[in-house]
Amino acid sequence: MSVSNNILYIKGDQSVEVTKRDVTLGDLVTMECSQQNVVSKLKTIKVMKIPEKGQHRFVVSILKIIELIHKEYPNLEVQSYGSPDIIVTYENQQQNNRLWQICKIAFVTLTTFLGSAFAIITFNNDSGVPEIFDNIYELIIGTTQKSFPILELGYSVGLVVGILVFFNHFGKKKISVDPTPIEVEMRLYENDIQTTVIAEYARKGQELDVGETNTTDNHRT
Amino acid sequence: MLVKQILLTIIGLSSGILVAGGLFGFIVSLGVISDFADRTHSGNRIRLYERALALGGSLGNVIDLFGIPMPVGRWLLAVFGIFAGVFVGGWAMALAETLNVFPIFMRRAKLVGCIPYIILSIAIGKGIGSLIYFWFGW
Repeated sequence: MSVSNNILYIKGDQSVEVTKRDVTLGDLVTMECSQQNVVSKLKTIKVMKIPEKGQHRFVVSILKIIELIHKEYPNLEVQSYGSPDIIVTYENQQQNNRLWQICKIAFVTLTTFLGSAFAIITFNNDSGVPEIFDNIYELIIGTTQKSFPILELGYSVGLVVGILVFFNHFGKKKISVDPTPIEVEMRLYENDIQTTVIAEYARKGQELDVGETNTTDNHRT
Repeated sequence: MLVKQILLTIIGLSSGILVAGGLFGFIVSLGVISDFADRTHSGNRIRLYERALALGGSLGNVIDLFGIPMPVGRWLLAVFGIFAGVFVGGWAMALAETLNVFPIFMRRAKLVGCIPYIILSIAIGKGIGSLIYFWFGW
C-alpha cells in the first residue's frame, strides 16, 4: 500500500485490562491518522494471544506495536504520545464471582468502620484527651466539676466536621470537585504497582519488545 | 459564664477539626485503605470505605468520650476485636512500609529469596507479642 508522508498518532495507557484472549492493537492503543481506513485496518491486527493456562499479565513495549504497524504499512510514520510500556492484564470474567466480591467489600467496609472507631479511641487515650479536657476546664471555669460536657460535645462535632471536610464528601454529595484523599492515594498506589511491574518485566527480559524472540535466555539477570 | 461556655465550645470544635484532619490524614496517607481496596479489587468502592471510615471515627469518638455503654454481647465483641485487629495489623505494616524498613534490610542483608518467610515471621511475632501483652497485662 502506498501510504506515504502520512503520520499515525498512537496513544496507549500504562495499564490495560482485556477480557478477550485475542489482544488486538485497538485494545492497547488509540490511533489517529488522516486516512481513516488505515486506523480501522490497524485496529484489528493481532498483537498476541493470551494462553489459557499460566501467565495472565504481559508487558508490551510500544516499539513492538510500532513494529507491527510497520509490517503493515512500512512507510507510515508513527508518533506515540502515550506510555512507552503497556501492561496487559487478562481478567477472566467467569472468575469474578459476584457473591465473593460482595463478601470482600463487606469485609473491607467493616474493617474500616470498626478499625477507625478503634483508632480514634486509642488516639484519645494515647494523647490523654480526657485529662487535657480537665485541664482546660480548670483553666477556664476554674473547676473540673462541669455541669455540662460542652468541651467534649464541641470536640465530637468538630471531629465529624473535620472528617467530612477532609474526605470531601457527605453521603453522595461532594463538597468540591476534587477527588477524595483515598482516591488520590489509590492512584498513587496503582502508579507504584505499574512502575514496579514494568521494571520487573524489563529486568527479567519478559517484556514483549522488538529484536528478541521473547525468551529470557539472551538476557542478563 | 456564657463567654466561658462559648470559649470552651470554640476550643472543643477547633481541636476536634484538627485532630480529625491529623489522624485521618495519617491513616489515609499510610495507604491502609488503598491497600485493602487493591487486594480485594474493589477500587470502585472507595467512597463506601471513606464513609465507613468517617462514620466509625465519629461514633467511636462519641462512645469513648461520653462513656456510652454498648451492651452488644460477647460475640459481637469478638467480631469487633477481629476487625480492629486486622485494621491495626494493616496499619502497623503500612507504617513499616512507608518508612522503607523492608527495602533497606533486603538490600543490606541481600535477602531477596526469603521475603515470604520474613513477612510470615513478622506476622506471627506481632501476634505472639500482642498475646503476651494482654495475657500478662503489661
